[in-house]
Amino acid sequence: MRIPLTLFALASTCVSALALDFKGRVQWNTQCPDLKALGQTKVVLDNGKWSGGVTRDGSFIRVDIFESDSLPEVRPYFPGTPLSPAAPATLPYPLVLSARGRYDYFVPRESFNVIAMFKNPMMMMMLGAGVLVLLMPTLMKNMDPEVMEEFKERHAKMTNLQSSLQSGDLASGFSQLLASGDEPKAAASGPSKGASSGGAKQRSGKGKRR
Amino acid sequence: MRLFSLLLGAACAYALHASEAGVLDWHKPQLGVPLIQSHATAPTFHRREYDTGATRSTILTVTQSNVLASVNPANGSIDWRYVFDDDDRIIAYHKDNDVVAALSGIGGANLRLFDAIEGDLLLETRLHSPEAGRLFEPETLGTAISFGSEEQAGNLFVLTDGHVLRSIDRHTGEVKWGWSAPDQTSLVVYSKILVTPSAIYLLGLANSFASYTLHISTLSPTTGEVIASGNVPSSVTTGFTDVVVVRDHRTSEVEPHIVWLEDKVIKYYPLTPSLKAKPAVIKGATYRSLQDVGVSAFGQFVAVQEDGSGRVIRLSSEGLKVIWDFADSATSPQRSDAIYSGGLDVDGHPYIARVFWSHAFRQASAHIFASHLAEGKGLVTGFTFPFKTAEHGIISHVAVDAANPEPYRVLSRLFLTTSTGAIQLWQHDQHQWTREEGLADIRVAELVELPERKIASHAGVEQEFFGARLRRQLSDAQDFPQYAVNFVRRFVTGSYASASASVAPSTNTTEPLSRDTFGFRKVIVAATSHGKLYGIDSANGEVLWSRVFGLGWAAQVGGQIIPAKLFVTRTVNDGEVPQVVLVTQRKANNGLVDTVLFHVDALTGDDATGKSPANDVLQGKDVVSGPLVEAFLLKTASARVVVLLDEFLQVHLFPETDETLRIFEKAVPALRIPLKTGPPGQRQLTGHQIPQKVEFTGRYIAYPTWTLPFPPTEDIRTVFARPTDPVASLGKVLGNRTTLYKYLNPNLIGVVTGPSASVPASKSATCAVYLVDGAKGTVIYHAVLPSAEGACDVKATLVENWLVYHYYDSEVGPGQAKGYRVVSVELYEGRGIDDKTLSSDLTSLSNETTSVSIHEQSYVFARGITTLAATSTSYGITMKDVIVAHEHGQIQSVPRRFLDPRRPKQKPTTEEMEEWLVQYDPVIPDDPKRVLSHNYQVAKTRRVVTSPALLESTSLVFAYGLDLFSTRVAPSNTFDVLSENFNKVQLVFTIGGLALAIFVVKPMVARKRLRERWYD
Repeated sequence: MRIPLTLFALASTCVSALALDFKGRVQWNTQCPDLKALGQTKVVLDNGKWSGGVTRDGSFIRVDIFESDSLPEVRPYFPGTPLSPAAPATLPYPLVLSARGRYDYFVPRESFNVIAMFKNPMMMMMLGAGVLVLLMPTLMKNMDPEVMEEFKERHAKMTNLQSSLQSGDLASGFSQLLASGDEPKAAASGPSKGASSGGAKQRSGKGKRR
Repeated sequence: MRLFSLLLGAACAYALHASEAGVLDWHKPQLGVPLIQSHATAPTFHRREYDTGATRSTILTVTQSNVLASVNPANGSIDWRYVFDDDDRIIAYHKDNDVVAALSGIGGANLRLFDAIEGDLLLETRLHSPEAGRLFEPETLGTAISFGSEEQAGNLFVLTDGHVLRSIDRHTGEVKWGWSAPDQTSLVVYSKILVTPSAIYLLGLANSFASYTLHISTLSPTTGEVIASGNVPSSVTTGFTDVVVVRDHRTSEVEPHIVWLEDKVIKYYPLTPSLKAKPAVIKGATYRSLQDVGVSAFGQFVAVQEDGSGRVIRLSSEGLKVIWDFADSATSPQRSDAIYSGGLDVDGHPYIARVFWSHAFRQASAHIFASHLAEGKGLVTGFTFPFKTAEHGIISHVAVDAANPEPYRVLSRLFLTTSTGAIQLWQHDQHQWTREEGLADIRVAELVELPERKIASHAGVEQEFFGARLRRQLSDAQDFPQYAVNFVRRFVTGSYASASASVAPSTNTTEPLSRDTFGFRKVIVAATSHGKLYGIDSANGEVLWSRVFGLGWAAQVGGQIIPAKLFVTRTVNDGEVPQVVLVTQRKANNGLVDTVLFHVDALTGDDATGKSPANDVLQGKDVVSGPLVEAFLLKTASARVVVLLDEFLQVHLFPETDETLRIFEKAVPALRIPLKTGPPGQRQLTGHQIPQKVEFTGRYIAYPTWTLPFPPTEDIRTVFARPTDPVASLGKVLGNRTTLYKYLNPNLIGVVTGPSASVPASKSATCAVYLVDGAKGTVIYHAVLPSAEGACDVKATLVENWLVYHYYDSEVGPGQAKGYRVVSVELYEGRGIDDKTLSSDLTSLSNETTSVSIHEQSYVFARGITTLAATSTSYGITMKDVIVAHEHGQIQSVPRRFLDPRRPKQKPTTEEMEEWLVQYDPVIPDDPKRVLSHNYQVAKTRRVVTSPALLESTSLVFAYGLDLFSTRVAPSNTFDVLSENFNKVQLVFTIGGLALAIFVVKPMVARKRLRERWYD
């Protein structure tokens, strides 16, 4: 059990600090109760030019580092962010660090779960479609006859278009689509639609009898 | 295309499940080979006594891997270890009842205190900066630690730098007083401390003509004031090796003595605070050496006489007296010279062991002398123990621990360190355990594929009678019912081989080695610098076989075998037992260097040449009488030949047969060999070719064709080449359906340069990375990197057309911070997209080889690393991740997607999204889920070896350094096996549900149809 604690980027914490001895302490807490849980740890300054081991009571010290006699100012720094301006927050000196949490190296195994399965968007769509199929006949039954007629026509158009697309006759499918744009005006009742509306009728017939 | 999309789909995180930890991977923590040259670092038994009267014993040692460790004598497990930094060498350790103190760094710069049982660091303090320390030879000289007793019990006395003594509080680390020799420039170097309640004696050597003179200073323990100081009239020639300070700490009546050897005579000088005594001589015999065996605080030491026989001398109120002569201990061809070692029992009585190897009986013997037994006349208990010299070399150090359960009976525990780096514990003549610590110093390692398990063994018999044939076939068929049952069961329950199961063999070890379903199990062949070759099971890390190298003619003078390269010369695909060839340099003690080859069967460790029997040392073949310059494996369709170049650039082949010569002749025109040439500090890269004609010596001699000098400030650090793994796709299809063709020049090599080691480090020094066309010396890619305080720590790896390097950037630019950087470079053919030059097949004479476009990107990396390697799979289809070993002991995989140099700076367009490019972020995320070593602490990894498994998706990873670690990774997920998460129950459930639905609905539909017919 070694160093799996988020003692974040201490190495870069003090790159710009200048003062005398550097002192600090690791605050033992429930996440990291003692040195056994932490393992062999050292606190590193400036790419290991100075480093101090964490002792049993949590303290670390590195002497003879700095020449200045004023206390160092410690600021946090996150790798990848610009160094200047430095972070406005200053950390207390001597530095006190505490573990925020334990690194979790593992991912939980996925298990079979019915609810989770139905949370899947695909599954929800399927369910929705199923419900629609079941409800459609009742809906159709309650529909206004005129609206119904219109709906049937549109449906027939779409079916036609789909079938022509499937058969690879793109041109006719496309022209149909364009034609359908003009539809509303000439839609009252065209003789040309006889066949297709007939099909639709049959289908609606089924619905009615149920 | 489908596979392509599959791979992309699987590109999301691959991580370990908690249940797989310790199943897919294994970790062997090690401590390294004990450092036995000095008493200050050699292994000793330590007994911790608690206030309750209970005791607990451990074995403490410092090792060559710079580790202070405590081993449990009961089972050989590591109780604790503290890994020191490489630039902070441990010089000495000293133990008291509950603590262990260690001095490290030049001149003893750092002092650390540890709990003796728990290993917790109690105190760490710097005594001086390492640069200010004085370097001594040997490095243990000039430093000593001693714990105070009685009223000084809370203090620690530390001598550093040969002239500075400090009294340090054990609990706070506060320096109570310090004393420095007034004349530091004088030639006195203090090396020993003796603390008594009345005075501290500092013993040193003063330089005088042709020899040294003993010098003593006495100080007050409370204030550090000098009481007296002066030379003892003496003449010591061998430094402190023949000087012993004896005292009996149990009684204060006998004053301590300093004993030394002068002109083969033992002289002594009683130590009093005022230094008023006169030196005296023990008359009677002439001696060869004096040995402090670790019980000098109990008044005993060993003196070896001129004829090699050993005797024990004791200090008592009657002065120094010989109390025991070891019988038959004179030097003789019948046995090896004895090793003497002292130990204590629970009651604190001293024991002295003499251990030697008997050539006549081929067994090791131990004689344990106990001075207090037999009414104070002394008692020796002797026994022999079956030490396996063919397996562990020779005994090089012994530590002893004794017990005296009843009068006239002595039980002893011997802790042996052997020349092959093994450590062993023997309880009397019973072997308790062995740890192969030589594995902490692996020089070369290779993973070798295993053959499939043979189900039916039909050994191609030409003529076979009917009866015999029937019998054979029946015996072959006896497993059939089991097979059939298995087949059915597998079909029904779906218990297929799982890609995340352990491949370790069951307890039945009699079966020959065979691979598992997916080829996850291999043999790791590893050679150490302690003269041993190991075969390790990659499934669980067990040592399958091991061989000790024979020294050949150098056995007469002694020597060392240093492994240089390891080649797999025959694989399973060749239909026979896989074989490896180890190329080594043998450095004999008389200064001669030879190149020796060891040709070994990878499954059993048997000598493939058939010369050395299995239970003896492995004898090599001297191929070159001289050092080796380069060795490489020439792979052709028909054979694999090891090509060696000696210092005169003569070509040697192994095996050297007519056929291999013919193969080599055919390959000669295409061979381009870049070599490091020139003296250290000004090394350059020189390309070599081999002429078609054999020289009059009967050998080919390579000649230089080009030279690539580097700037005078740069010296070659490492040269690395691309692995010979297959490349699945020659190009990269972009989102807009254009293609970038990979630059796959087979001669491409990488070079890392840095300031020469001979030049003092300066801050202006720079490091550099080059990619060079090894056929003609053209620099393809060059980057200058800043050095960290004059040191270069650039780690790089090259795979396919992809170079990744890692360094520390200490330059603080505007708004920039110091930190680790990783740079990813990709090389593509020609001037850009759709420009194809067929670089992989181009002749090296073509100008096109230099036409290359480079994409590069630098990222901030969170941590320092010790090494990196790319994963490797059998066909190269799977994405390549980079495996890095962190300085703090973790092995992590970095996904290629994060390192892609073509990551867009803005939000990715649809075309870029189609390539799965993610927006550039300066920091490579440090994801704990990608830590392959999870909770293990894999210390000081030096190299990561990757090797393909049979499954295309999976790559085996083996990391060595101080510890050994192995796991397997699937960078694109295990797309070629059914997922572990695949739920057969769910599938059956769904299908069953559908069947049920059909069953229910079918009559309903039929009824409805019928009604429709009637009423429509």
